[in-house]
Amino acid sequence: MIQNINRRSFLKTSSLSGAGLLLGFSLGARTRPAETSIFEPNAFLRIGTDGSITIMAKNPEIGQGVKTALPMIIAEELDVSWEQITIRQADYDRRLGSQFAGGSTAVKSNWEDLRKAGASAKAMLLQAAANRWGIPVAECRARAGTVTNTRNPDSLSYGQLAEAAAALEVPESVVLKDPADFTLIGTARPNVDTEAIATGQPIFGLDAKPRGMLTATIVKSPVFGGTLKSFDAESALKIPGVEAVVEIEAADNPVLRIAGVAVVARNTWAAIKGKKALEVVWEAGDGATESTGSLRDTMAERTAESGAMELRNDGDVDTAFSAADQIIEAVYEMPFWYHATMEPMSYIADVREDRIECWGSTQVPSSVSYYANQITGIPRENIYVHQSRVGGGFGRRLLADYAQEAIYLSHKIQKPVQVLWTREDDLQHDYYRPMGRYQLKGALDGNGVITGWQIRSATTSRYLFRGDDSPHFKTEMFPDGFPAGFIPNFKMEYTPIATRVSTGAWRAPGHNATCFVDQSFLDELCVAAGKDPIAYRLELLGEEDREMPYDDHGGPTYSTGRLRNVIRRVAALSDWEQSLPAGRFRGFAAHFMFGAYVAEVVEVTLRDSGAPKVERVFAVVDCGIVVNPLGAKAQIEGGIIDGLSATLYGGIDIDKGRTVQSNFHDYPMLRYGESPEIIIELVDSTAHPEGLGEISLPPVGAALCNAYFRASGKRVRSLPLLRNGEVG
Amino acid sequence: MPTYSLDINQQQFTVEAEADTPLLWVLRDELDLKGTKFGCGMAQCGACTIHLDGAPARACVLPVSAVGEARITTIEGLASGGQLHPVQKAWIAEDVPQCGYCQAGQIMSAAALLEKNPHPTEAEIEVAMQGNICRCGTYPRIKKAIQRLV
Repeated sequence: MIQNINRRSFLKTSSLSGAGLLLGFSLGARTRPAETSIFEPNAFLRIGTDGSITIMAKNPEIGQGVKTALPMIIAEELDVSWEQITIRQADYDRRLGSQFAGGSTAVKSNWEDLRKAGASAKAMLLQAAANRWGIPVAECRARAGTVTNTRNPDSLSYGQLAEAAAALEVPESVVLKDPADFTLIGTARPNVDTEAIATGQPIFGLDAKPRGMLTATIVKSPVFGGTLKSFDAESALKIPGVEAVVEIEAADNPVLRIAGVAVVARNTWAAIKGKKALEVVWEAGDGATESTGSLRDTMAERTAESGAMELRNDGDVDTAFSAADQIIEAVYEMPFWYHATMEPMSYIADVREDRIECWGSTQVPSSVSYYANQITGIPRENIYVHQSRVGGGFGRRLLADYAQEAIYLSHKIQKPVQVLWTREDDLQHDYYRPMGRYQLKGALDGNGVITGWQIRSATTSRYLFRGDDSPHFKTEMFPDGFPAGFIPNFKMEYTPIATRVSTGAWRAPGHNATCFVDQSFLDELCVAAGKDPIAYRLELLGEEDREMPYDDHGGPTYSTGRLRNVIRRVAALSDWEQSLPAGRFRGFAAHFMFGAYVAEVVEVTLRDSGAPKVERVFAVVDCGIVVNPLGAKAQIEGGIIDGLSATLYGGIDIDKGRTVQSNFHDYPMLRYGESPEIIIELVDSTAHPEGLGEISLPPVGAALCNAYFRASGKRVRSLPLLRNGEVG
Repeated sequence: MPTYSLDINQQQFTVEAEADTPLLWVLRDELDLKGTKFGCGMAQCGACTIHLDGAPARACVLPVSAVGEARITTIEGLASGGQLHPVQKAWIAEDVPQCGYCQAGQIMSAAALLEKNPHPTEAEIEVAMQGNICRCGTYPRIKKAIQRLV
């Protein structure tokens, strides 16, 4: 396979005295002077004359495994053995292209560029060896960091060739491997940081500590949208260790303009005590009238009539309902969900007169850099964003509001400052998964075939909340998602609901609600039709392989053949045709998102309390080529546990404009003893790699509730399933 | 400010801290032992689990003034003689961590259990591990790692 390297992604090479071959994509951005490059990682890979091979992990590692998977792609084409390379987390560096953790995009969007980076370096090393030996390059072979001469036993290590290779022109085009020849991609590689994690190394955002760092906590309006009226710093300043109390005006925090009062202290405990001691008076504003109940009422009103936006209208649903043999109606409700990253929001900034250094956990280092410039006016080339390992993302850290607080405070007091959100801050000032209501109506003919489907929904659209230009239904509803396109009369309407309650992206945005609703309601229709759930889905999909239009992330089309394949395979994996032992029940759901396909079966028993106990979960996933099956399975396991936890327990309540819950005692998470056995199969594929980090989450809630219905006869239409341990 | 003498990872440290300071912040802020993590501040998540005379304790709610002469072990002190602790080795063998933030606490809980009870039943393991939340959902691999050692 020959791949042309276009101008934009052309490889640049520079020889550093004694440092060997340094390669990085030029993306039209500034280039730092070579001498700082030795100290600042600024390229995808580096081979030292001492034989050291360093590969940069370009994207933030939030637990999704890209610090392992992305370097594997480079190492594959470079032909080095996994054991001989050193992997380093890249700081923010424009030459590396987009450094972003979100939308399950890291592998799919970097696949070609990283392969070219490795292949180009290898081509130059091969050429250097050919020159040394005076033979055609075709007679040289690269393997495990060494070039061998096919005519005789000569060999040269990459380190020995590095200097000569650095003097060569970068090839205009490179040969990429046939996937059949991969030796590293597709092999199980443990997380490269596991030993550092297991021994407690200080690798997370909260662990950094520049000299002279102070710690700040921030008091914010308990009522969403409230404004600061006054504050009295005196009692906070009396706490030993508290150095300053600083007001942050709404305009000082550019992303979402949320004001606060910061307590800056010499140690964390003083900052926490100072925050408690601080006396602040807030003007609650009209947010105080909001509650979960009022939002529910508003949504009920807005879904009783036609929605504000018609997202899809195939055929004529009204005619379908008039002609129907059976009409099934149901209302589903989804609550706000809290992100609950185990590492609470924190960030460190050291703003000097003409330079900023910052450290911490973010999914968007570029956004930190951008806003650091906006807040301070310091040019972006003097802003250094150090990327730590991130203690969980799940979409929360796509917003860098907490980083801006650190930058603002450090700028104001001219000292390095770490902002720390306590768990209570993190929970009560989160950007929750939007709340929503989904009113459904289905028509069945005499054979149980679905002839009409109408869905009217209303959610607290995160794009509306943010004042974003994107259409407000985006990441809330998916007009092309299954079963749209398979039912002749199909209507989808949507109304965005304004609220002061902050909302944002939460793992598998939108899909984490719509898949639950669609796959649960399909199961209701299936029960009404008296059919088997898997057979019913397959019948709906049809026998023919079709590319369905899909105008959203993961599109432009999806394959019914691949969806059908994962469904059939999960049926086989879970022995769907065999009956279960008495007392055990199962449910099914399947989904397409972000380019990948998943089907899941959940088996439950009932506890004495009547609550479901999840015994086993089966998942089959087709995400194209799998770079690291060990990491891929971790993501699937994690998404399943995450989805079960949110389905069983996840629910933020709002009362008088405030979040009711405050910590893990009243916002429970699934724990060790409730963790089911998980059996996973990855479809062996040569298709382009697709997003994997979120795919296993959306169907698991529906599969669980579909199983629970068979166990208990109760249909769960409002989450969470359990409140205070009781079935809600 | 009072002064405390602490026995941490078989070393003596003297620190100045307010009496109500949780041991967590003494470890992290004063002694630069960053392996013990802040998760919830109210003993709900287990990210700050350490050993106090060999028993698991939540450092986020343990005032430094209450430690007395108890021996403290943190994740940094779990390995000994240049050898990783068997629980650390099992964690690596099963590739447990995803984000990894909770794992020091998970490992400390498991190590304390196995120290006291080398052959726990599944129910005993559940009780010991129930206080540690993993938001990434690594429980299946934690289970396998512990089963390696039982």
